[in-house]
Amino acid sequence: MLPPGNMPAMAHDPIAFELFKNAIFSIADEMALTVFRTTYSGVLKDNMDYSTGFADGDGKLVAQGLTLPGHLGSVPTAMDAVMRHYRDDMRPGDVFIMNDPFDGGMHLPDIFVFKPLYHEGKRLAFACTVCHHTDVGGRVAGSNASDSTEIYAEGLRIAPLKLYEAGTLNKTLMTIIEKNVRLPVKVFGDLRAQLAACHIAEQQFADLVAKYGAGETTALMRETVDYAERLTRAALAKLPDGEWSFEDWIDDDGIDYGTPIRLYVTLRKKGDHMVVDWTGTNPQVKGAINNTLSFTKAASYTGIRSVLPPGIPNNEGVFRAIEVICPAGTVGNGVLPAACAARGLTGFRMTDCMFGALAMMLPDRVKAAGDGGNTGISIGGYDACRKPFIYVDFTCGAWGARPWADGLDGNSHMFANMASHSIEVTEAEEPIQLLAYEFVPDKAGAGKYRGGVPFKRDYRFLEDEAVLQVRADRRDHRPFGLYGGNPGGPSENYLNPQAENRILPGKFTMTIRRGDVFRHVLAGAGGWGDPLDRDPAAVLKDVRNELLSPQKAADDYGVIVDTARWAVDAAATARRREEIRRARNWEVVPKVQWQDPPKPEQKSVAAE
Amino acid sequence: MSTRYRVGVDIGGTFTDIVLLGADGTIHTKKISSSVGDYARAIVDGLSELFAETGLAGEAIEEIRHGTTVASNAILEHKGARVGLVTTKGFRDVLEIRTLRMPRLYDLAWEKPAPLVERYLRQVVDERVDARGRIERALDPRDAERAVDALLAEKVEAIAICLLNSFANPRHELMLKEVVERKAPGLKLSVSYEVLPEIKEYERTSTTVINAYVMPIVASYLRALRQGLDRAGIPARLLLMQSNGGLTSDRAAAERPMNIIESGPAGGVIGAQALARAKAVPKIITFDMGGTTAKASMVEDGEVTRASEYSVGAGIMIGSRLLTGAGYTLKVPAIDLAEVGAGGGSLVWIDGGGALQIGPESAGAVPGPVCYDKGGDTPTVTDANVVLGYINPAHLVGGALALNADKARRAFEDKVAKPLGLALDKAAYGAHQIAASNMIRAIKSISTERGRDPREFALFAFGGNGPLFACGMARSLGMRHVVVPPSAGLFSSFGLLYADVEHHYSRTFRRLLRQADLAEIERAWMALADQASAQLATEDFAADRMRLRRSAALHYQGQSYELTVPVPDGVIDARMIAHLEEAFGQEHEKTYGHRAGKDEPVELVSIQIVGQGLRQGSAIPERLKPSRAAPQPPPPRRAYFGEAGWLETPIVRRSDLASEQRGPFIIEEYDATCVVPPDAAASLDAAGNVVIALS
Repeated sequence: MLPPGNMPAMAHDPIAFELFKNAIFSIADEMALTVFRTTYSGVLKDNMDYSTGFADGDGKLVAQGLTLPGHLGSVPTAMDAVMRHYRDDMRPGDVFIMNDPFDGGMHLPDIFVFKPLYHEGKRLAFACTVCHHTDVGGRVAGSNASDSTEIYAEGLRIAPLKLYEAGTLNKTLMTIIEKNVRLPVKVFGDLRAQLAACHIAEQQFADLVAKYGAGETTALMRETVDYAERLTRAALAKLPDGEWSFEDWIDDDGIDYGTPIRLYVTLRKKGDHMVVDWTGTNPQVKGAINNTLSFTKAASYTGIRSVLPPGIPNNEGVFRAIEVICPAGTVGNGVLPAACAARGLTGFRMTDCMFGALAMMLPDRVKAAGDGGNTGISIGGYDACRKPFIYVDFTCGAWGARPWADGLDGNSHMFANMASHSIEVTEAEEPIQLLAYEFVPDKAGAGKYRGGVPFKRDYRFLEDEAVLQVRADRRDHRPFGLYGGNPGGPSENYLNPQAENRILPGKFTMTIRRGDVFRHVLAGAGGWGDPLDRDPAAVLKDVRNELLSPQKAADDYGVIVDTARWAVDAAATARRREEIRRARNWEVVPKVQWQDPPKPEQKSVAAE
Repeated sequence: MSTRYRVGVDIGGTFTDIVLLGADGTIHTKKISSSVGDYARAIVDGLSELFAETGLAGEAIEEIRHGTTVASNAILEHKGARVGLVTTKGFRDVLEIRTLRMPRLYDLAWEKPAPLVERYLRQVVDERVDARGRIERALDPRDAERAVDALLAEKVEAIAICLLNSFANPRHELMLKEVVERKAPGLKLSVSYEVLPEIKEYERTSTTVINAYVMPIVASYLRALRQGLDRAGIPARLLLMQSNGGLTSDRAAAERPMNIIESGPAGGVIGAQALARAKAVPKIITFDMGGTTAKASMVEDGEVTRASEYSVGAGIMIGSRLLTGAGYTLKVPAIDLAEVGAGGGSLVWIDGGGALQIGPESAGAVPGPVCYDKGGDTPTVTDANVVLGYINPAHLVGGALALNADKARRAFEDKVAKPLGLALDKAAYGAHQIAASNMIRAIKSISTERGRDPREFALFAFGGNGPLFACGMARSLGMRHVVVPPSAGLFSSFGLLYADVEHHYSRTFRRLLRQADLAEIERAWMALADQASAQLATEDFAADRMRLRRSAALHYQGQSYELTVPVPDGVIDARMIAHLEEAFGQEHEKTYGHRAGKDEPVELVSIQIVGQGLRQGSAIPERLKPSRAAPQPPPPRRAYFGEAGWLETPIVRRSDLASEQRGPFIIEEYDATCVVPPDAAASLDAAGNVVIALS
């Protein structure tokens, strides 16, 4: 609570304002609930890959509903495009639709639907929705392929267009969509969900205007944006001023194998303003992992929001205080004909890169690198009756260690917060069997707090033939550890691990046949702090739980575990730790580690 | 024979509420402090005190109905049993990996709830059943013995068994069960196929484990309670409230304690349902507000709405319906409640942007609101209500607790009104309204999620603070009627008296309707029906007092979510299948706004049965006779009503409302305070409810 006399300026009665703010965010949440209730596809329900929002009459975002972090900042960019095209060509009953990444969109599966809301002929607001659709055509089912090299292969591109004009449906556009997507029933079902959400917003907004009047409603929406800006600036002002840079690498784009892709960010913080500058980031690449600027903004905001206090509304006010720069033609701001369907990878990794930079600024508040965000695995083909099947699995789960706690084991990356599919439902519906879904020991980066433990997933294919496509990373460039913490172990891919155990690359497309088993092992997450400072009891617990082998406990932590009694041998541990300390001979604690520190000789342990 | 009484007992964190209802309508009530650590003691003591006050004896008690938080507390406080889990090789970590989803965005400090079984107590066996129930790799009996031996060597107190795809074929789980029973007779055992024969390995594993985790603690609690009642000379049978709103015998509760975890809040909702049926009010929203939280649920066409799964200990958050991942997943039908952290104790504060905020932090019982004068110095919602004149400024109703209204006023002045530059009354009224608006969001979420419009519902308010906020909230929501039941502050225990014995069973049974073997479906349902009848028989229901209702969860092939439709009695034949397809199509239209064409294949996903034990005679006498005489009400006082300002407001008793009275007035009762604002009118109905019409 602020002391009296130190109250920030509030243009309105603070109680009327709070009641209004509650009402307007309630509309955004109800839009989200409406999509959730009426959606046809599991993608939206399971993955929550959609967002809803509310903008003022000029298209400035006032409220975003409970939402995918990856969509932060997407609505303003899309709104700008609509306003650019239609500012003077808009009337009651219009509904806009768009997905073009080069004209306000993000990647083609994300379709935006906007409805302007009017009162007595004056435009006061917009209802906004964006949903990830099951399929928007293109060369690969699901429209998610990582190996397309131009946008034209990725599906139907919709510039900002009117889906309804003064209340009349644009049938031409609907027919074009219908004929260009693989599952029109699902796509139209989800478009209906988006329209239903806009409809709910329209009704509730009319109630709000009836209560407050048009002028007051507009003023209170503006106040809601100003309020978020004040909160953001007040929080930024408490962070140190200065400049911090961080560099990380994506292994490659799956087309130019072995050519790493640089991500480089500089944070410039002064007073109550922050600049996130991605200058120095790699030029755009051939593979479909190029971001739009809006997605790079989302990654930037997500990083910063994680060090700001909770409760700041998501709206234009936040974005006023945080400026994001990324030069056009880079992997963070692709231009035509950049392919971008699988840009999720770059978004996740830019978020991690933000954590790295923020950890330089705030050493005791930010986590080390996680597994790198989700791995995309798709298995698609046709069964004996020529019926298509497409199984898509996005999976991730190891959080980097934090300055106060271990990384989480089996928890979605913050940028996406997706849920896993049930194995039993997968087996009941797809020609796939899962043979394993469990933690893999000895891959978490050691540290005073260790990184999250990764898991493996083994998929056995049960049809005659299919195409397996995998988008993984963090094999050459491992998840970094911070302030003395070790990096996590690399990700791994294998074919038939019980037989030939062929090592597969990080990104590939191949044909598989009945009985083939594909194994993916996530990268382990990075550790935080000196492993020799880890509480031996915590090491013992990991050994007991078979997340850490006794050998690795001795090597990385210098902790000697008596596995017969489940106890730590304190004297041997003290000796071992001293040996490691001498051998590594740190003059300063390394801030960032990409490789394991060299190990001392093993002899003394073996002798005991 | 003298009057027979039924007893409703609800244990909360602070108070244990006891209601005795006689066949002649006599009501005796008692509110005493909960005996934390030995909850059974307060029940026995409370009953003994009531006997002393009324001259009743143990034989007068016909039945005790009980809602308890003993199981949920064990989970929240991690005080359950040391459980061992046996699962399929390759899937040791299903329980811990969960669904990967987290409930909070942008939160680096998020911690996953610790698994209820640590990894070293999770044993795997080398076996494999496929999705259709075919055994691909047979379980070697020696491997089964080894896994069980390993857990017994770790001195586990209970064992949970959950193998992959066991819903389709339980053979291996039953083998393991046999091994445990042979090696450790009497050890608490929870087998997934018996507990929840349904698809989705995480939900099934989590449910099976939770059941094992609370088995010992619930069993010993019920044993202690039974012994205490026996010692007090009360031989009456003991029934437990389940999360689904139905009652179960104490024996069945001890075997399936997973069914009684959300036992606490269910009683009030079931009571509301019964009154809605009696009054023929088709649509009500229940609103239960106490000291720390407020809960809302929906009753439509005389039926409570249920969720098929929920999270224990998920905490309180408005977005919990969209952001899952907190707490422990339990796939057991439960009354669907939306909960927000708003109660009388919720703190009133000003955020960094200069906006007034309420909760979710609470002053709790200690130090409590400022007006309790127990050291609390941060204003609370209750303090706002005292400043506004809604709550008796001298003492809490019933007189048990003296209040210091001046202190509440000073705290509000210094910490809220002055910093915001507002008059004291405006600031307090603002806090009251903002608390109401937080709760309004919860009510909107339960109705909008189902596509319902709250304006078509009546608001049924109970709990100590529910009737105080109800009228203002109803008006904001455009609702026209508020109903406040008798004993509103004790309604959670009173409501228990309205419940029926009820058991829910379901089983995954995936078949395309038009290609299914109908006789096979018939047999599967019969098996569930037999299970339900057998359970009811153990609870002394004769065949003619059992009611079995079937339902089916269906979807269009390829859809990932199901809709449930009732299945009428009769054989499963082609006509029945056609009926189900049509009923599903209609429900789809109602929920999603559209349905697929006639040729779209409909898939049966699971079959369900609810078995109900019907009682003889009516639940509640028509006329209720509270034994506690309402005291002479205090003189009128000034209360603040927003735009209408400060008004002289009479304080009345419920019995004064025999004829309609216009607001403003305040009804002060032993257990609750009801505020009727200006431009509202209230009267009593035949059942003793206060019915308020908002104009």
